[in-house]
Formats: sequence, C-alpha cells, structure tokens
Amino acid sequence: MRNFHVAIIGSGVVGSAIAWELSKYKISVVVFEKGSDVCSGASKANSGVIHSGINSPNNSLKAKFCVDGNKMFQSLSDELNIPLRWIGKYVIAKTQDEIKKLQELENVGKRNKVPGLKIHTGSEVNKKETNVDCEAALWVPTAGITLPYQFNIALAENAAINNVNFFLETEVIDLKKKDENFIITTNKGEFQSNIVVNSTGVNCGKIVEMVEEPNFNIYPCRGEYLVLDKNYSSLVNSMIYQVPQSDMGVLGIHITPTIEGNILLGPSAEFIDDSNDKRNTKDMMNRLIKEAKVILPSLPDDAIINAYSGIRCKISPPEKGGWADYRIEESKKTPDLLNLLGIESPGLTAAPAIAQHITEIISKKIEIIKKSNHKIRRFPNKRFAEMSIIEQSELISKDPRWGRIICRCENITEAEVIQALSNPLNSRTIASVKYRCRAGMGRCQGGFCTQHIVRIMQQYFDINIKDIKLKSPKSNLFYRENKRLRK
Amino acid sequence: MDNQKRITCIVCPLSCKILVKTNKKRIELVHGNKCKKGIEYARSEALDPRRMLTSTVLVKYGDWPLVSVKSSKPIPKDIIYKVLNEIKKISISAPVKMGQIIISNVAGTNINIIATKNIKKEREVDYI
Amino acid sequence: MNEKSVNVAIIGGGPAGLAAAISAKKNGAEQVLILERNSWLGGILPQCIHDGFGVEELGKSLTGPEYSEMYIDMVKKLKIKTMMETMVLELNKNKTIIAVNRNGIYKIKAKAIILAMGCREKTRWNAMIPGNRPSGVYTAGVAQSFINLYNIMPGKNVLILGSGDVGLIIARRLKFEGANVLGVVEILPYSSGLPRNVVQCLDDYDIPLYLNQTITSIEGKERVEQVTIAQVDKNKNPIISTERRIKCDTLLLSLGLIPENELSKKTNIDIDKQTGGPIVDQHLQTSQEGIFACGNCLQVYDTVDLLSKDAKKAGKNAVLAPDKIKNFVKVKSGKGVKYIIPQIVTKPGNIFFTLRVEKPYEIPTLVVKAGDKELMRKKLPWANPANMVEFQINVDKETIISNDLIEVMLDG
Repeated sequence: MRNFHVAIIGSGVVGSAIAWELSKYKISVVVFEKGSDVCSGASKANSGVIHSGINSPNNSLKAKFCVDGNKMFQSLSDELNIPLRWIGKYVIAKTQDEIKKLQELENVGKRNKVPGLKIHTGSEVNKKETNVDCEAALWVPTAGITLPYQFNIALAENAAINNVNFFLETEVIDLKKKDENFIITTNKGEFQSNIVVNSTGVNCGKIVEMVEEPNFNIYPCRGEYLVLDKNYSSLVNSMIYQVPQSDMGVLGIHITPTIEGNILLGPSAEFIDDSNDKRNTKDMMNRLIKEAKVILPSLPDDAIINAYSGIRCKISPPEKGGWADYRIEESKKTPDLLNLLGIESPGLTAAPAIAQHITEIISKKIEIIKKSNHKIRRFPNKRFAEMSIIEQSELISKDPRWGRIICRCENITEAEVIQALSNPLNSRTIASVKYRCRAGMGRCQGGFCTQHIVRIMQQYFDINIKDIKLKSPKSNLFYRENKRLRK
Repeated sequence: MDNQKRITCIVCPLSCKILVKTNKKRIELVHGNKCKKGIEYARSEALDPRRMLTSTVLVKYGDWPLVSVKSSKPIPKDIIYKVLNEIKKISISAPVKMGQIIISNVAGTNINIIATKNIKKEREVDYI
Repeated sequence: MNEKSVNVAIIGGGPAGLAAAISAKKNGAEQVLILERNSWLGGILPQCIHDGFGVEELGKSLTGPEYSEMYIDMVKKLKIKTMMETMVLELNKNKTIIAVNRNGIYKIKAKAIILAMGCREKTRWNAMIPGNRPSGVYTAGVAQSFINLYNIMPGKNVLILGSGDVGLIIARRLKFEGANVLGVVEILPYSSGLPRNVVQCLDDYDIPLYLNQTITSIEGKERVEQVTIAQVDKNKNPIISTERRIKCDTLLLSLGLIPENELSKKTNIDIDKQTGGPIVDQHLQTSQEGIFACGNCLQVYDTVDLLSKDAKKAGKNAVLAPDKIKNFVKVKSGKGVKYIIPQIVTKPGNIFFTLRVEKPYEIPTLVVKAGDKELMRKKLPWANPANMVEFQINVDKETIISNDLIEVMLDG
C-alpha cells in the first residue's frame, strides 16, 4: 500500500493551493480527485473575483483569509503567469436606504483594513460607467478578477511537477484511522497517510461521516450564472454589484467582467436539497436577465452565449441567515484529519492564505524542510491571437501547428490545443482543453472546434473514440465508432 | 382485393392528404388532391413506392474513413433495410472516384451503389 | 509576413464562395483567390450526403458531395487559387486581408472582396434550455459531421429538437445507422421542413413528430439521461401541466442558423438585424465599397440553387465594379415581411428581391410601393417563413432620385 505524509482529498482551488504550498517542502503528498480534472466543482463555477474583504464581518476567518489572500494575488499571478486585473468594484445604491447600507459596508471594510474605499455620487459613477445609473456607489479599488479555473489548474500543475501525486477519477469511498495512520480506500485501490486534508467543498460532510459523527450540517446553496457574448464587453468597465437586498424575491444582481471580455451575470443563491443538482433553471435565468436589465437597460435579449452553476458549501441554514464563518480545523475526535468546512465566497481569494495556514498546522505535526529545487511552471497561456504578427510568424516557422486555427470564435491554434492536452496532470477531456486554452468558450460553443479537438486527441494522443469525455468520468462524447471492418 | 392507402403528397407545400384505393395492381380511386401532379405522385406511391438511398461505406487507406454513396436509381421502399445491410458489410480501398460502382446489382435489384465523392489514398497501412 | 495581391479574394470556400469565384473568373478577373478554413472545399456540402441539391439549377437531384464536387472541378479547371486551412484574422476597410495558415501569416490586398463565411448553428443557450449540462447534447450539423465524415455515432437513443430540414434529414440518417430515433419535437403546429422530408424521413420510418411541443429541461448527471417535454400554448410558452419525460442519451438541436458575420462586424460593415447579414444593394455590395456578400452569411437560404445563383451575381459584380453610388433608395420591410434583400437600390433596372414573411399566410397579396406609387401587386398562393419569396420589379430612375422609400408588404 502506498504511503504518504499528507493526503489531500479534493483538488478545487483550496486543495490545489494546499498541494502547491506543501510541494515546496520535502514531504510526500498525494491528491485524490474524483473528477477527470482538477477544478471540477465550485472552483470552476464562480465569478473569478478577488474580493477586497468588505463583505465579511470584522474578526472573522473569512475576513482575515480574504484580506491576506488578496495581498498575495499579485505576486502569485506574476510567479505562475495567471491573468489578473484590478478592475475594481462599484457597489451601487438606487435608494436612500441603500445608500445607508453602502455606508455600513464602507465601515466594515475600513475596520477590515480594506484600502481605498470611497463613496461616489451617481454622476461620478456615470463618468466611469456610462451605462450604469444609480444614486451613489461604493468604489472598491482592491477588488480584482482572475481566471479561477486557470488559477486552480496552475496551482495543481505546479504541485504535480514538484512531485505531488495526483490521482484523477479517484473517489475516496472509505476512510479509517488505524493507529497513527489513515487507511484511505478509493475506487483505484488503498492508500495510507499520516495526515488527511478534507478539501472536498460541498462534499466535506461525506468525508467526515466516514470517521465520525459530524458536528455540522451542510446546506447546499446553488449559484447560477449567465455568460454574455464578448461583443458586449464594453457595457461595463468594473464589477457592478447591487447592495445586498433585503427583499427575498430579489437576487441583488452582480455584473462581473471577465479577463477574457465576457460579462457574467450572477450568481443566484438558492438553497437546495441535492448537493449534486447543478441545473440551470428557467426561473433563475429569467431573473438574472430581468435584474441585469434594471442596471443595464441596453442589454439585448440575445446576448447570452452560455450558462453554468456551482454549489456553495454553506454550514448555516437559511432560517439563520445562511452565513457562517469558515471552519478550518483539526477534528477533535479524529486527530490529523484537517477539515475545511463551509468554504464558500471569498474562497478563491482566501485559498493562498488558507494554504499557508494549513501548512503551518502540518508543520507542527511533521518536520517540514524546504526544498532547494522547487520548480515553477509558468502557466502556458500565451495566446496566438494576442501576439504581434512578428511573434506569430516566428512561432509558425518553428512549428506549423501554430498556424492552424482550431477554435474560430477565439482564434485558438492547434499548437495551443496540443499544449493544453500535454498538461502535467494528464487530464485529457474536452473540458481540460477548454479551461486551459479556451477553445470551445466562444459563441458557437464548440460547434466548429469539437471535431478538430477530437481529431487531435486521436491523432496526437491515441485516445480511443470510446474514451473521449466532455468533462467527467462518465460524460462520454460518443456511443462508438460506427462502421467497422469485418474480419 | 381492395387496398387503401393514405398518402401525403410531397409535390408542393400544400401537402394534400390523398386517399388511394387499389385493386391488385390497378388504381381504383384517387381522392383529395388539388392538382394533376398529385394524381401521378399518389399513383406511383401506392403501386410502387421507391426511394433514393444515400449512405456511407467504410474506406481503407483513405484521407477520410468513409465515402458517401447513393443508389443509381430509386430503390423499392420495402427493401431499403436489406440494401442498407449490404452496404454495412463492405469496405473499399482508396482511392475512390466519384461515380465508381461500389456494389453492383445490390440485393438483386439491378441497381448499383455508386460513390458520390472522391477519396484520395493517404496511407499505406491502415490503422482501422 | 507573406504578401499577395489579387483581383478578387473570397472568404469561404463553401458553395457560395465556389460559385462566386467561378463567376468572378468567368467575368474577367485574372487572379481569384479562395481562402478556406477547413482542409476541404465545399463547406457543409460534403457532409450532406442526401440528395435534393441542384433540382432547379441543373434539373437533376444531386447529393451534397456531388454538387460541391462539380463546382470544385470547375474551380480547378479555371485555375482559381485556393488557400486551405487558412483563417482570416482581419479584414481592413482598404480591402486588405490578414490571414494565417501553417505556412505563416499572409497580407492579401484585393481589389474586391467577397464575404462567403456561411453560418453557424444556434446553440442550446440561444434557446436557453434549462437543466443539467451533460454530454450528449449536439447541434444537428455537428452530429451529422461525426456520422458522415468521421464514422462516429454520437449516441444510441436520440431525440431531435426542431423539425426543419436539418432535423428531419438527421433523423433518417441516424435511423439508417442503427440509432433508436425517439422522435422529432417541434414548437410550431407544423414542420418547417419540406413535406417531402416529413414523409421520407419521419413517416416512412414511423418516427413520431411531436408538434406544438418543446423541451423544457435536459437531465443527466454526466451524459444525457432524459429530457422533459411539454406542450406549448399559442404564445409558444410551455404548459407545465403537460410536462412528461422521455428517456434518451442524445439530444440533437436543430434550432436554426445564424449568419456568420463576426469579421463583417469588426470591419464595421453595416448589418441588418433581421437577416443577421450585411446590408447590401442589388449588386450584393455591402456598405463598404468593393466588399460584397453572398451565401448564408448574407441570409440563410432554403436551397443551394438560389444561393449559387446569387453568389454568381456577387462574383460578377465584384469584377465589373459598379460606379460610385450617387443616389440610392432604401427598401423597407413593411407589414408581414420579416426582411427583404437588397435593402438598398442604387441604380434603376430590373431588381431581383428575396424576402421572408413573418408568419404563415394563405393567399396573401404582395405589394411594393415607392412613396405613393404602387410598383407591384401580386397574389401568392401561400407564404410561410420557411420558404423564401423571390420576385422582380423594375425600379425606374425617378424612384432612385426621388429618394422615396420602397416599401414591401403583405395584404391579407
């Protein structure tokens, strides 16, 4: 049975950040991920916002990790080559009551030591955001955006090239503590570890239940999003959020630009029973558009090109307001089980800070020595479409596959697709390609590129038709090869 | 012996529903058409319905794995699946020329299955 | 960067681009160049293995591959140059194209440019179909390419949404290749495909046609497992009490086509919101002088015959280079008319129009007016949105100079 110092269950953004942090030290780490790629859960289904910390109550872990994490993002982005833009956020108020809420938010923010907060008048806002009408708005300059999936993937791939073992499509089905070790039973066999990190998001309760009676409940809360066509990217320049609404029938719309130029509407917040129910509903899709139009009346009806959803792990029920602080702690009943419970927004922002915190806890249990040869893999996201003609010509002359466009909506080349499929995690689904090089994220939603990506998978990676998947272990694209030679 | 068939005419978008009564191989009654073309169509549909058949055939050593094919003439409707099964059984080696006969006298019909596309030879050894 | 200079450059080597290129060459253009993003010419036709192409144009019913092969042959005979697997990255107002392929970046200067980029399929999110996002949901054209070009079966138990010709043809194709075709779902009270296809693709094979219905949800944890289908009311809204589930592993969407004009938009060519394509004059010239449009990127055609005819017109006009526009008159789509092409008329003469109506009409009267003057009044036996209406009228010099709006409408 393979033995490790630390086993991390779940490679969303927090699990991957922990894996990367631990990969800097001379300890053996294994990551179990039940999806076909890292970042298969809520980490890919969020807004990509680097939060400032104004939304979390003073003295909470959420506030602490958010503000700490926020400060780490610029250097992380530089080091790993992750896109990051400090576009800022306007929290807008349309009534006098809402302006009062703005002032409250500003105060909470100041106490959390969030810099640069200022309330602007409606006309000041209008100078920067010509399409937005409001009475006043709170300007939050330290709010930024990144590509959440690229960030998650970059952390995991960096951990992988530094000897962290990733087991994809590997689900932990049982966990037992035996003497000083954990016996971890997965669908791919048994493993042992000294320490287990439970970073499974909305499934965190299931892991805890394997070893003890949980002292918490999970309240899955679904967030739905709509993605707008890039042609409308100039509608807003920074994030536009409505002040949190007291009327339960109103979502309180968030309009978030993305690094790529699409605009996101959402998320909604709906408590549901089934933590696997990631549907997009007619009700929410209509509400998102309706509320977005209140802020952006010029939004056309045919601007939507995609929709998705994710499930938040909430540990406080709606009757109690649905807010609870992070629980990041060693289990009292099961020593060496480190649980991350209730990691919802600002989870992406908090991840690097949480990772350092977990590493500290681990360092008190195991002696950890820093590696002298820690490698950095800068995320290969150089886009042909963004290069100068000289750069493009040079690349093509070295490798003609840079001249063959596979994704016509985003002008992604064959070389970029091959690069994406050659990732250190050996994750080779259609989604693995999409999240790494963007092919398939355009307005035709894979209408042109899918056949070419399939051809590349067969030709360069010898993948059988029957094994080509969309995103998860059983999401096969095809039934079978059709006509076959009779022997 | 009387036989009744309801036929949807396809000659124009009006799609008249035509009732055809036949007795052995003779047309007894045609009713429901709004024009003469409908009568002709209904007659042939009732007595001898035929369809142009198009499909694909597996290709070896070609730049594409399939060549599209068609029947040289419309095939009797009731043996379409028989013909499709014949087509499914075979494969052909590249190069293939458009118009080339892939199967002659398919299922004893005196109708050929011909290629409707050109396929170039791409490789010496096939990976199928 | 490689530089080239040509007389006519054509963006797109599908049936429109091929016909336009041949016509340009035959009308005297010396260097004609087709830029095609795929490794084959013919666009969508090589995967349309069924027949029915060329009936009006040639008097015979060819399959898609045969029809395109005919044009490809002519392109070769006329020594028209083609750049394959080549994507146009930019189109400048001064008719310079930046394109890329495996050999590098090309800067191509042309005296005239013909846009023939074709169209793309509407996706699930254009219709905002709720539910999970499993694998097994395809647009019909993509499924067709896998079956007919790549020898891959996308699924086994298939339901099709949309009963236009694309949906009907793929239903039969799947049935022939052994799939269990569960039915075709259509939101209208009738199929918008040709009656011939309803009979020969559905009736012949007992494939059910579910009219006045739509899909209200797609379900499946990882691959499609079932869909929810419901009847719709006269406003096309689902009647929730009629919802029922159909188990399937594949859903094909045949929801309609969108003319592909991202390149045109980036070049600031004026687009007609109703057609989805460039605003053109009777020469098929766009708002940019020397840039013409034809094929499905101009409007979605019903038959390749008319498409080729118009494309040849664009090819000819690209060479004969109409004079600078002095006066022009706008053409407006009035009551009952969804769109009309051309949207402007720049010279007097016999003008050929195509239009689509907004909804089905029985024995409507087509009326064309210029200001107060009635130019035409014609009874049509029927009209519906799925069948393009063609007509010709003579527009005289006075109408052009007067700048009166030409209005086309339906009475009755």
